[in-house]
Amino acid sequence: MAKDNSSLQATTGTAGLFVVAAALRLLLFTAFPGLPNLLTGRVEISTPVTSFKRLQEGLFLYNHNVSPYDGGVYHQAPLLLPLFSLLPDPSTYPIFTYILYILVDLLSANALYKIAESKEGAISRLYTSPRKEKRWSGYIVAALFLLNPFTIATCVGRPTSVFTTCAILHAVAKALSGNIFTSMLSLSFAAYLSMYPLLLLPPMVILAYDRTYNPKAPKSLGQLAGMCTLVVGGSLGLLFLSSYALTGSWEFLSSTYGIQLTLTDLTPNAGLWWYFFTEMFDSFRSFFLGVFWLHLSSYTPALTIRLRQQPLAVTTLLLGIFAIFKPYPSIADTSLFLSLVPCFRHVFPLLRYSFVTSSVVLYGTFLGPAFYHLWIYAGSGNANFFYAITLVWSLGLSLLVSDLAFAILRDEWEVERPEMRGKEIRQI
Amino acid sequence: MQLSFTSLIPLLPFFLSPVSASTAPAAADYHEQLNLKPLPQNSLLASFNFRSNTSLPEFEAHNFRFFPRSLGQILQHAGTRELHLRFSLGRWDAETWGARPWDGTKEGGTGVELWAWLDAESDAEADQKWLTLTNALSGLFCASLNFIDSTRTTRPVMSFRPEGDHPNTTMDNMHLLHGVLPREVVCTENLTPFLKLLPCKGKAGVSSLLDGHKLFDASWQSMAIDVKPVCPVGEECVLQIEQTIDMVLDIERSKRPRDNPIPRPIPGHELKCNTTKPYHAEDTCFPTDSLNAQEWTLDQIFGKHMLGNCPLTDPKTPPVCIQAPHSRDVFTSMDVQELKESGNENQRCYLLPSNEEEFHLALPFMPRDGDRPKTDADEFVQPATPLLYAERSLTGHGQEHGGVQAILTNPSPDSEVEFVYMESLPWFMRIYLHTLKARISHRTGSDAGQTLRDDDEVIQEIYYRPFLDRKRGTQLEIRMKIPPGSTVFMSYDFEKTILRYTEYPPDANRGFDVAAAVITILPSNSTAAAAAAVGKVARTSNLRTTGMLLNLPTPDFSMPYNVIIFTSTCIALAFGGLYNILVRRFVGRDEGPEVSLVKLRRRLQEAVQKLKGRIQEKLGVASKEAKKLEAKSD
Repeated sequence: MAKDNSSLQATTGTAGLFVVAAALRLLLFTAFPGLPNLLTGRVEISTPVTSFKRLQEGLFLYNHNVSPYDGGVYHQAPLLLPLFSLLPDPSTYPIFTYILYILVDLLSANALYKIAESKEGAISRLYTSPRKEKRWSGYIVAALFLLNPFTIATCVGRPTSVFTTCAILHAVAKALSGNIFTSMLSLSFAAYLSMYPLLLLPPMVILAYDRTYNPKAPKSLGQLAGMCTLVVGGSLGLLFLSSYALTGSWEFLSSTYGIQLTLTDLTPNAGLWWYFFTEMFDSFRSFFLGVFWLHLSSYTPALTIRLRQQPLAVTTLLLGIFAIFKPYPSIADTSLFLSLVPCFRHVFPLLRYSFVTSSVVLYGTFLGPAFYHLWIYAGSGNANFFYAITLVWSLGLSLLVSDLAFAILRDEWEVERPEMRGKEIRQI
Repeated sequence: MQLSFTSLIPLLPFFLSPVSASTAPAAADYHEQLNLKPLPQNSLLASFNFRSNTSLPEFEAHNFRFFPRSLGQILQHAGTRELHLRFSLGRWDAETWGARPWDGTKEGGTGVELWAWLDAESDAEADQKWLTLTNALSGLFCASLNFIDSTRTTRPVMSFRPEGDHPNTTMDNMHLLHGVLPREVVCTENLTPFLKLLPCKGKAGVSSLLDGHKLFDASWQSMAIDVKPVCPVGEECVLQIEQTIDMVLDIERSKRPRDNPIPRPIPGHELKCNTTKPYHAEDTCFPTDSLNAQEWTLDQIFGKHMLGNCPLTDPKTPPVCIQAPHSRDVFTSMDVQELKESGNENQRCYLLPSNEEEFHLALPFMPRDGDRPKTDADEFVQPATPLLYAERSLTGHGQEHGGVQAILTNPSPDSEVEFVYMESLPWFMRIYLHTLKARISHRTGSDAGQTLRDDDEVIQEIYYRPFLDRKRGTQLEIRMKIPPGSTVFMSYDFEKTILRYTEYPPDANRGFDVAAAVITILPSNSTAAAAAAVGKVARTSNLRTTGMLLNLPTPDFSMPYNVIIFTSTCIALAFGGLYNILVRRFVGRDEGPEVSLVKLRRRLQEAVQKLKGRIQEKLGVASKEAKKLEAKSD
């Protein structure tokens, strides 16, 4: 009875949180009618592959029977087009778009709530943290996501990356609840929308394996991995086929995924790629594109093997890496990473540089827009100003990622050496 | 080689006379004419027109006659059915100068513009021939036409129609390609090859007046070459080449002597003052607006004399005409026959004697006061109102987003105007078509120019071919209809792209030129019907807006190495840090093998300790000895 009572309380509390978050977003949308379009134009929020303005242009061309992929503006997934053409025109009735984006945010928060409540962060099948009592409830984790200024700005700026965020969080949540098929379906949606989530497949398979593990009738991991790959491949194939049926040609492949591989659009963003390839010598461009992609994908096997016992930690760290090193990162990716970090509340005392990272991230957050303004509008600074800030931002985030990795590993180590708790250590 | 060929051309008819005499059309094959038209505000429009033709069978058989051989061979090689080439500079001031010469059909946008109908089976073949054509013309005209690549080439759908008479069988295989180089600076090196194509090569006739110093100093100028087949009813088809130069000269500026070209303040005694001003005195002067009274001679404004007639020209065509009211005094040299057409009140032409004497023409000063005062109406013909006024400009600020606004005004009080507005934009100007808006303001009616409202009626049809990064530019054609006495404000947004640093021109911060918009005014229904009754297609007229200068964000050109190094360092730091954490083992601070640095520190500490001990020892010994000594001395 008491348990029921507390869960009821938790449910009403979460419902209250969701209502507050939705009301806050709705207030921002309606009280400042210029804000959505202002944020849509910000390079930190909208990238060439997620921008809402480009989506509108693609939609306009699609509705006028011009292939949006035969042009250089629209680089997003084809299935977004019929979805958005169902909605009334955003320029005349924007409220429907607002409601859609708010709903997507709430869905993501709900998935995050489930992830946090599953306690996978501290207790997995193969590993139980000595600090497992120290954890935040789903309510707090969802609140940290919903009230994060990055998430709110992303929601108001309406990039299509929120759909990817939602799909990834749902893939994780479903894998945690043992629903492998739905999880893989969700992951393939994410991969279909923005390609890079495909790199999350290995930790996701392990997560699903661990959560469905039955000690009485153990299945082989290889078998499950094969099945998951088949499911993802099959559903991606289906999605591609339906996109082909929708647009009538395979042009969308090169326009949607090719641009992420070749980086033809060099619009500034918070990442490291754009200025590097602006200044790159033509003869080395393809080489460095290969190196950058290799670098990005090298983290998946390394982290998956090293952190075999904690697949959710692998997923979180990988999302952090993607938020820094993917071709067109935005603060939407950062907010996704930051939303999963609170699931590891138990290792927070082991973080070594929490003050440095938080100040560097704050520094980047405030100086980034200022320096961009100096370069683009005021003309009193040049491209290096903004570039320097993206460097600082990336360094700050990568410090956070490696610090988190350190904390998680040390936590793991202290299971073997409980006497080392609170003592100074070093790595050899 | 080319030189010797072209110089042979005037002689060709004489060599070929036994063969060609029978087949040549009866009419003379070469015409040239200079039309002078004084304009308000001390300007003068000079239109040179040179036209020659050769019959199509002879052209196929390489008998070029007056047709320039160098150009003819290029056209044959590239399978060109019709060619239009324009070199233009400056802006036509429609508010003051009125309608454009030739209805705007012989002008181009600023820079170089080329469009041609090529004979090809497929698009790929057409592209190949287009490449051949642009490269050959580039060499012939000393212009960067070879830079018209796929990003600057469009295939207009609604804007251009063939001007020549093409049989229906060839029409099916004709491909129209259009290219613009808005950045090209038209100059003397383009005029010289242009003159070389003429039978008289600028040595005699009206072309002897053409001089680069004056032509490219004009307020507006346009050089045009049009090649097209013409089939007069009942006669043999001929290939016609028409070369046109239109220029608007600022008379005061042109009269400035060549040895003293620097503008200096007018000496005090030559200033024309407005004496009605209350403060007018010996030492104060308000310059009068005496711009309208024109006074010039032909050799003054062109800086050269006209050297008689071109001997090859049709003797019946008067080489020089002037469009001015008959009340305007015009003096010419002796032996010149003045022709006044009965139908045209304002036109006077001059037939020159066949000798090679210099021709002089002078328009004297006509006093606005005195006993027989003259007015503006005596001096020049009031310019006709154009069918449409068009201007286009960039809006917005910053180097991220921008907009384009075109203001299109139909000045006519009673008839609507229908036209096609065509833009060919560079790929790095990412336009958002969903932001295209047309708002209209009526000059008459209830709201009389007060409000702008959205109007769906204005835009009738849109043809849009979006850009592809580094492959092709945007092509936008809009058919619009503007009701009488209304102004349409058409606008759309675009985004500025940051390019790779090697793609910027050397002066990147100057900006990128955007080609002029081409406006083709379609004939109104009544004129089209009238033309159809005679069995012709009603002609369209053209007009072009000015070009635009687009500022793109620029990277720092000086530091590619630095950027590569900084970014790589950042990635290496992140990767290295994570790698260290993942790969290394944890141990307690005092466990495990010693790291060399720690070992070194410990050894140093030991050495220091040792040293300290020794020094203290020595000091201890020394103090003992000192004590001993003290004790001894005591």
